[in-house]
Amino acid sequence: MFKKLGIALLVGGAVVTFAHSQEVPSDFQLLWAIFAMIGALVFMLLDAKPLTTMSGGKSFLAVVAFWIFIVTVCIAGASLLPQFDPEDEREKISKLLEKQRAASQQGKADELIARAKALDEQVKALEERLKGLGGSQVATATTTPPAGDKPPAGAGGGGGAAGDVMKVGEEQWQLQECYNCHKLRGEGGKKRGPELDNIGTLLTVEEIQQKIVDPKSFMAEGYDKEWQKGVMPDKFKDLMDPKEMLALATWLGTFKNTSVNTPKPIKKK
Amino acid sequence: MWHGLLALVVLCVCVAPTVYAQELGASSVDFPYTGNRTAVWVVAQLHILFAAFILGAPIFVVISEWLGYRKQDPRYDRMAKEITKVTVILFSMTAVTGGLFIFILLAAYPQFTTWFINQFYVVFAILYPALFIVETILMYAYLYTWDVWKGEKKGRHIALGIVLNLVCLLILFVINGPTSFMNTPPKAEGISPQDFLAAATLWDKVANQSWFPLSLHRIDGNVAFGGFIAGMIAAYMYMGSKTQEERAYYDWMGFVAIWIAVGGSLLQPFTGLLLAYEMCDYDFSFCPYMMADQLSMFFEVQGMMIGLLFLAINYYSWLSVKRIEGAEKVRMTILAPIVLVAVLPVTMWVMNTYWIPDPMSLAFLLPLVLSPFLLGRLVSVTVSARTVIKIGFIVMLISDAVWLTPSGFVATGSDMPDELKLPEGWDYLASMPAKLSAIIVLVFVTVVNYVLYNRTIKQGTILWGKIDFVAQFVLIFLAFISTWIMGLMGAVRSLLKKYFHAYSLVSDFTVESFTPTLSYSAWWITGITVSFLVIVTLAALVALRPSVSKVREPEMNPVPVGVK
Repeated sequence: MFKKLGIALLVGGAVVTFAHSQEVPSDFQLLWAIFAMIGALVFMLLDAKPLTTMSGGKSFLAVVAFWIFIVTVCIAGASLLPQFDPEDEREKISKLLEKQRAASQQGKADELIARAKALDEQVKALEERLKGLGGSQVATATTTPPAGDKPPAGAGGGGGAAGDVMKVGEEQWQLQECYNCHKLRGEGGKKRGPELDNIGTLLTVEEIQQKIVDPKSFMAEGYDKEWQKGVMPDKFKDLMDPKEMLALATWLGTFKNTSVNTPKPIKKK
Repeated sequence: MWHGLLALVVLCVCVAPTVYAQELGASSVDFPYTGNRTAVWVVAQLHILFAAFILGAPIFVVISEWLGYRKQDPRYDRMAKEITKVTVILFSMTAVTGGLFIFILLAAYPQFTTWFINQFYVVFAILYPALFIVETILMYAYLYTWDVWKGEKKGRHIALGIVLNLVCLLILFVINGPTSFMNTPPKAEGISPQDFLAAATLWDKVANQSWFPLSLHRIDGNVAFGGFIAGMIAAYMYMGSKTQEERAYYDWMGFVAIWIAVGGSLLQPFTGLLLAYEMCDYDFSFCPYMMADQLSMFFEVQGMMIGLLFLAINYYSWLSVKRIEGAEKVRMTILAPIVLVAVLPVTMWVMNTYWIPDPMSLAFLLPLVLSPFLLGRLVSVTVSARTVIKIGFIVMLISDAVWLTPSGFVATGSDMPDELKLPEGWDYLASMPAKLSAIIVLVFVTVVNYVLYNRTIKQGTILWGKIDFVAQFVLIFLAFISTWIMGLMGAVRSLLKKYFHAYSLVSDFTVESFTPTLSYSAWWITGITVSFLVIVTLAALVALRPSVSKVREPEMNPVPVGVK
């Protein structure tokens, strides 16, 4: 047993030392060291003396203890790994579904119920006033909407300021998770799609928009296989409204970093 | 006038919600403690586990019955009958959890469920119930004709089992239509999903992109699952056995069950990969979501569990070899350990150079993996079987380590700091070719051990009932881990719909529409696994305990298997 442990420590130590010298992050060093110890455990099990046959209550207790052990390993193993924070996604999803929610039957119903509740409040307030005040005051009260009924700021407004467009564009980049395939500002991407830091030099805003609407309209040089397979989904036209898409294209159009080798787009349609 | 206005307002207040309530149908029920999504998740997963067993076990059973008939070995027939008895009990559990599933789904998501049923009305209202009824009749007929159709009529009984299996397969394909539809509803380029759906036929909806791969994955998964569960049942019965004869039988049963399960398990990674491939082909955003973003650590755990599963399978194989008298004399060509050592680096190189579906990869890999079997006789140098197995374990551990090496230990790859990433030159360890290579090696080592076991039994004598007692815990472990993996991957498949009930068609507006943490998921998956296995254990005890005490003819004398 000690021999096996010694070998595992030696192997684990060698792997960790080598990985450390190559500047491999410590998490990986730990993982491989754990594997060396698992190796020792496996070899101890292989050469262990046979377990004598148990019967009756002993077997039952051993099984229960074994189950508790497996349950602990499963839960602890999964819980010790880095955990994704759902709050990050919740906010995104809430924004993504905002319009759909409002447009859906449920959204309409929620809105109507909310309006009905507000009206109910108004009625109650009116009743209170009718009880205690004169007619002229009542008339004034009914023509002035309560503070809560004011339309939300910006609703129906133009909102066309350049800063807002950029903000919406960047927000769409995050919401649609474009960063999962495209690298931008040195972040995201896994070589699945081209790096986009110089896209503004190579395509106009209209062309970028066209590419988002119809991914087959342009092909990035060197991405023939991906283009043929249709790796870039054509769903974004259904997920963004034209304004959002234009904002995203406009925002992307501002990236003109010529030091980054963004592949040349080839027009296909 | 004011009274008129007030009356109108009051009318609006009272009537408006009613009008919309009728339009929307009943509002959803809020499930306490778990929340609606988890309530559906728990019951759906339990239902799928029972369903997987009752669809998988008949395949296992009829193969066993046929083997018994062909080899004239009554043990196969006994095992087949015992597993059928358990299956019949679990059949009712499938129906109960299925009913509960529909009830909770309707209560938690009434609008979506109504929409969904409308999409698959013929499936849910006619096909599925009809097939389920036919399956029930066949299942009971199969059990109750067991002792009637024997001897010359055995062929008739096996034929009935085959028909039962065909119906089971049909059910699986039919119900996988709606299931896979939620992930990959039919679509066409340039047409919105809603417009396409409006014109789609029922067949278009059923035969969606992930339907066939999901069905394939579930078929071999169900065979494997049936085997692992049968193995666990055998372990319990072995532990409870009072006589050496019973121990010999349940030792044999556990062994056969596990090897049937291994047969299914060896295909699992590849059909799973095919399913993932088709899903990514449908919508590439699934791929980073699974491998690099929110679900990346779910796959880390999957790697951990599958690694443990393969280690346990091969450990059981090792224990099986140890109970063979004369195993220590068995030797194997030196090519076997050489290929075992070479297979991981070579496969990684080949997969990096000729990625799937390039057939060139086979031109390199097939000769390599077949060389010990084809050229072994030409090489006179040999090593002991035990040495080969031990080298196999080292190779498996390294492969597991490769499988478990991610790009970085972070919850999402999108915002990974450079200091946590694998440095350049090492990053190939985290690539898909490396992962696939690790899977291929795990499968290869298992196959080598199987071949080795067969060679050993030809030269030695199996002492049934004399296996190391720890093997029973390995069988229980395998059943637990395989069930847990099913729960994990079930959650992954369902979470792939992201914030949709049906991907890109019906959005999930509830507050629970987000990816849960791995830890939270692990708690529930473990809870589901324990519940399922406890019920199966009880069913096995109810169905099989009385049969243990019956006197049987001795049939488990240690005899050379080669003679049999």
